[in-house]
Parts: sequence; C-alpha cells; structure tokens
Amino acid sequence: MFAEWLFTAFALLSILGAIGLILFRHPMHGAMSLVVTMVSLAGLYALLSARLIFVLQLIVYAGAIMSLILFIIMFLNIQTRDLPEEKGRILYLLGGIVLLVPVASFLIKVVKSLPATEATIVGSGFGGVKEVGLVLFQDWLLPFEIVSLLLLVALIGAVVLAGKRRFVK
Amino acid sequence: MIQDYLILSIILFSLGILGVISRRNVFTVFMSIELMLNAANLAFIALSRLHESMDGHVLAMMVMAVAAAEAALALAVVILLHKHKGKLDTNVFSLLRG
Repeated sequence: MFAEWLFTAFALLSILGAIGLILFRHPMHGAMSLVVTMVSLAGLYALLSARLIFVLQLIVYAGAIMSLILFIIMFLNIQTRDLPEEKGRILYLLGGIVLLVPVASFLIKVVKSLPATEATIVGSGFGGVKEVGLVLFQDWLLPFEIVSLLLLVALIGAVVLAGKRRFVK
Repeated sequence: MIQDYLILSIILFSLGILGVISRRNVFTVFMSIELMLNAANLAFIALSRLHESMDGHVLAMMVMAVAAAEAALALAVVILLHKHKGKLDTNVFSLLRG
C-alpha cells in the first residue's frame, strides 16, 4: 500500500516536471524541472528494486548530465531577450497533442493486455551490482566494448568541436 | 502494477515528443530528447522487473552511456553555433541546407 502511494507521488512529480520542461520559456527553468523528473524517476527505479540503476540515475543523470547542461546554460549567459520568439508554440502543442493522443492510447491499450504482475520489492539477488555485472560481462561484453568506443569518439569529437579558436566558413 | 510504470513511460515519451515538435529553443529540444531516453529507460527497467531478468538493467546502463556521449557532443555543437550566430533558435541553425 505504501509503495503504491510512493508510486503515485513519484509519477505525478515526474509528469509535472516534464510538463514544466515543455512549457517554461527560459531553458534554466526547464532544466530545473527536468531535474525534478530525473530524481523522481530514480525513486521509481528504487520501487522497481533496481538498486544499481537507482544510484546510476542519481549520479550520472541528475548529477553529471544535468549539471553539464546547467553549466552550459549559465556559461552562455542567456538573457530573456536572447530567447527565440515562439509565437506558434501553443498551436504546435495542440497539433502535437492531436497527433499523439491516438498513438499513445493505442500503446496504452497494448500495455494493458500484458499479464498483471504486482511490482513488489524484491529482496536480495535482483538489481544489485553483482547481478548486473555478471550479465554485463558475460552476455553483453561486445556491446559494452562498443559503448566504450562510442564514449571515446564522443570525447574526441567534443574536444575537436569546442576547442576550435575560430569558426571557419 | 507493472502496467502503471509502462503507461507512465508512454506518457513521458509523448511529452518528450511534444517538447521536440513545439519548441524552438535548442536547449529545450535537447532536454526533451533526454526525457525520451529516460522514458525508454523506465520501460526497460519495468519490463526487466516483469521478467525478473537483468538484461533490461544492462540495456538501461547502455542508454545512459549513449545519453552522456550525446550530451557532450550536442552541447559542444550548441556552444559552437552560439559563438557563430549568437542565437538559440533552431530555425537559425540551417548551415547544412546546402
């Protein structure tokens, strides 16, 4: 019962954060509401007894990626007059809702046909570092190496792109 | 119930798509993409809990690594474009039009 209350609270917080992200005009406010979404998603991972992913969500997403985005937003020193005029955004929003409601309702109908399972919290032997690590380094070794290569390419690309002194036309 | 988590994931993904198509601020578009990646992560973790296997957790970790790489590259591109044009409007960034 308590877990269901927690789920409702975290779900409401994450949806409110996402709505704030797409409605706030200044990207700083949007980033702050995205942080709310990230932290409440971490709470949902804890409810799904994914302990490692819970910690990684807090450290990598809410910690590293969001602070990088906030740092860049502050670094560019965006004033309100620098923001793009978004006159038609309510129109685009309504059009997007009209487009997305059938797709989303179809997907929800598909999801509801899944077998009903209670998401009780599993104790030991699920979602810890040991279990995830065993699967990661046995079955997923090649994708893991490819991801490390991708991170290296992104590192070099970011240094090459941001380290340019002048923009060459 | 696992279905509630999946429905929440669908809602968050739809909100991310709405952010991408309705906003013109490049930071908001970028953060909406991050929101969509998070919704996919939530679906992975919920289905992993449904089947009680660890593969979903591993995939969620890979998605996080891809998101980190994407954040580094996209923010470098945004800094470069802001230096060049001085604006944050996605309609201004049409250098690849040919």
